[in-house]
Amino acid sequence: MLWTKQDDIAFIGDNFESLKFVDNEKLPYFEINQNELLPFLKEIKENPNLQFKMFIDFTVADYPLHKPRFQGVYFLYSLILKKRICIKTWAENERLPSLTGLWKGAKWAEREAYDMFGIQFEGHENLVRMFMWESYQYYPLRKDFPIEGIKDTYLPSLNEKPGSMPSHDYEEYHTAIPTMEDLEETEKKRIQKKAQIVLNWGPLHPGTHGTIWFLFDLEGEKVQNCDIILGQLHRGVEKIAENVTYTQFIPYTDRMDYISAICSNVAYVNAVEKLLNVEPTEKAKWIRTMLCELQRINSHLLWLGTYALDLGALTIFLYTFREREKIMDIIEGIAGIRLNSSYIRIGGVRLDLPEGALDVINHFIKDFPTKLEEYETILTKNRVWLKRNVGVGIIEEEDVYNYGLTGAVARASGVAYDIRMIQPTDKYDEVDFEIPLGTVGDSYDRYLVRMEEMRQSLNIVKQCVEKLEKLKDDKHIATDNPYVLPTLDETFISIESMVKDFNLRIYGEQAPEGEIYLSGENPRGELGFYIISKGEGRPYRTRIRSGAFYNLQIFPELIKGRTIADAVVLLGSLDPVVGETDR
Amino acid sequence: MEELILTSIAIGIKSVIFIIGMFLLAAYLTWIERKFAGHVQQRPGPLHVGWHGLLQPIADALKVLTKEDIVPSGVDKVLFYLASLLAFVPAIMILAVVPFGQPVNLFGFEIKPYITDLNVGLILALAFGSISIYGVIFAGWASNSKYPMIGGLRKAAVLIGYEVALGFAMVGPIMQAGTFSLKGIVEAQQGLWFIIPNILGFVVILFAILAETGRTPFDVQEAEAELVSGYNTEYSAMKFGLFPLAEWYIATFVLSAIAVILFFGGWNGPHIFGPISPFVWFFLKLAMMFMFFLWVHWTLPRYRVDQITELAWKVMLPLSLLNILVVAIWIMIFG
Repeated sequence: MLWTKQDDIAFIGDNFESLKFVDNEKLPYFEINQNELLPFLKEIKENPNLQFKMFIDFTVADYPLHKPRFQGVYFLYSLILKKRICIKTWAENERLPSLTGLWKGAKWAEREAYDMFGIQFEGHENLVRMFMWESYQYYPLRKDFPIEGIKDTYLPSLNEKPGSMPSHDYEEYHTAIPTMEDLEETEKKRIQKKAQIVLNWGPLHPGTHGTIWFLFDLEGEKVQNCDIILGQLHRGVEKIAENVTYTQFIPYTDRMDYISAICSNVAYVNAVEKLLNVEPTEKAKWIRTMLCELQRINSHLLWLGTYALDLGALTIFLYTFREREKIMDIIEGIAGIRLNSSYIRIGGVRLDLPEGALDVINHFIKDFPTKLEEYETILTKNRVWLKRNVGVGIIEEEDVYNYGLTGAVARASGVAYDIRMIQPTDKYDEVDFEIPLGTVGDSYDRYLVRMEEMRQSLNIVKQCVEKLEKLKDDKHIATDNPYVLPTLDETFISIESMVKDFNLRIYGEQAPEGEIYLSGENPRGELGFYIISKGEGRPYRTRIRSGAFYNLQIFPELIKGRTIADAVVLLGSLDPVVGETDR
Repeated sequence: MEELILTSIAIGIKSVIFIIGMFLLAAYLTWIERKFAGHVQQRPGPLHVGWHGLLQPIADALKVLTKEDIVPSGVDKVLFYLASLLAFVPAIMILAVVPFGQPVNLFGFEIKPYITDLNVGLILALAFGSISIYGVIFAGWASNSKYPMIGGLRKAAVLIGYEVALGFAMVGPIMQAGTFSLKGIVEAQQGLWFIIPNILGFVVILFAILAETGRTPFDVQEAEAELVSGYNTEYSAMKFGLFPLAEWYIATFVLSAIAVILFFGGWNGPHIFGPISPFVWFFLKLAMMFMFFLWVHWTLPRYRVDQITELAWKVMLPLSLLNILVVAIWIMIFG
């Protein structure tokens, strides 16, 4: 079990009076009073026998009827115990102590909690909105905030004359939108001009690969200060999750990290399955593992192409897209949709593998290593490539823990943190693969790690295909389970299945009361889902721990003192996807 | 007096022919580049307008000429207009001193395939090349925008470094030929091409041309991932079109021609194509040179601007000086 229990920290338990342990089966957690929180966290971080050094996540849950109303939830990871810990604390007077003194990675997570719940953090250096703009008055993730938003802004129609009969049901009041003044204020709050000019990158800029808004305070071409304004792609996915059933939420996970949709699907569905105690079929597990790894190669190919494109090597982009297209075709053949496939279902996968799918994948496995060689010949030993990458953006091992960096970024700094190893889901415990580790932690190491990861992924795909060839006649979805939607054929044949289908679709999966935190190894780091269920068909709260969000957080720190040209390299090597950072 | 008028008319006609020819050539150089890039990237390139996209440059020219010409408010109008001309005109003016072949007799007239043969031809070419820096700097400054300004300043920093190296690298062939006239330099290479003792100078020239024309390992001024489009971000329509045309095509072409003249004997070559053989040789060498730049452009990533200037001052300049020494010793030994 990956979660820390009472026994593990018993020897410091006496020092903290209010420390309580709640032994839930799915998510055992500790509860502590707010005034003892910081000393407790400091103790478990610095105690040599515990070393909960790595910051995983912080979030808040809203219980309007409870007093105090908000509960903060912390997730940490211990390096020597190889276990996570979950700590909860109630926010008295809607205030919490800031963790930024202990973990720098808490900075954005606390800003997000402030933005979404309106909780004040004592000791936070710059507590401003994370996704919404300044002067926005509401806190969207509070339970009393309606899903359709609060329509308080008067926006008259441009083509309707006053007094005339409206041609359609145009509402004059809308939810708030930021004005230019709001955006200017937002910008001012983030960064104070100290050097020569403030260069804006974004919200739409070719270098940002999405809608991130970078602010660089420049002295010549040297960046003196930098901040990032997120939220241009904020769709309130966590709010949506509270209002749809577990199955209905699957397509939204596609649209978070749209580059690696299937990995997000799998991470979410695994969490839900664990909450519902659903066991997917063997075949489904193998298919998931295989598709996850194909998707990882796909995602890394896109990363490689755009990374090289940013650095001026235009040709690599088209070379990688040539191979990416093949994976896209494979995914399209299996799932029916190329990008946002929503292929994974609770209890299995949506469709069985089509005939010949494994042959196509086999061909790809044979073909791909030579292409990988081709990219490496052009880039790996290229002098220009080395000059641009080596020594740029060195991330120390301590910073990995401090900022909660995961994925290839952490592994390039020599931290062997891979969810596939420490908490294997699906069939990762039965396949054989290695975790490539970097030594220096610069952009070049991140490049090498990702290149090697593609090889390892291919190796996993190969093992999955071998296994799947033997499981040809198995079932792809465990429809016997009461929580699993029946297949279309079953619905048409038996009345029980139809009733079950109807119930699940209308009322949702009535999950037992409880909580779960489960994460998957996305190409961009740990994608964790923290789901609180109150025994209804919809989750009470879904928190999404996004790897890209935490990985991006170190960017302003790394770019300080470097040139604008290095910003491209750094951003490319951190590889965020805005759909996931903003959610 | 009569002779002067006749010469003026002849030079005028020749200039018009050269300019029109260069425009058409530049247009088709874009086609060559797009085809070349396409095949490097395993795609066909332009294919639909005309046979294998042969009419694509015409379509592009029509498009760029008929587009709305937007001048952003807040720009320095004079410099903004001047910049696109300053980038383009000097690039095409270098043509005035580039000889494409020996004089030939056609229908009793002696036709010289060059506009003029100055005895300071090479210096004039360098001077015109330097003027085009102003185009870039003005474009960056007058646009009243941050990306163009950074792009313009980057380009200026790169050009200043490489102009020096370029100038010194040309000294070797000049020493051997004993003249600044490009025609004279070609005629001095009847026997051995100047590439033999000047190999270091040639390497420097290759780098310098890549840097001057803003091709890939050195295209920091329009690094699209960082600066959107660099110094020409605010330009549109034909004013925008002139920049790449001048920089990527005309400048690359003309500088390639100069490199061929300096190091590969210009139009010298075995007379196996009859009377047109000098032209064939010259354009063959030129095409090889041009293709080499395309090849580099579509393969390599780009340097950072400080790395480029570092390369210019710490590697290219000493190399070009070393080249002068080598050539001096060569001349002392072989005369």
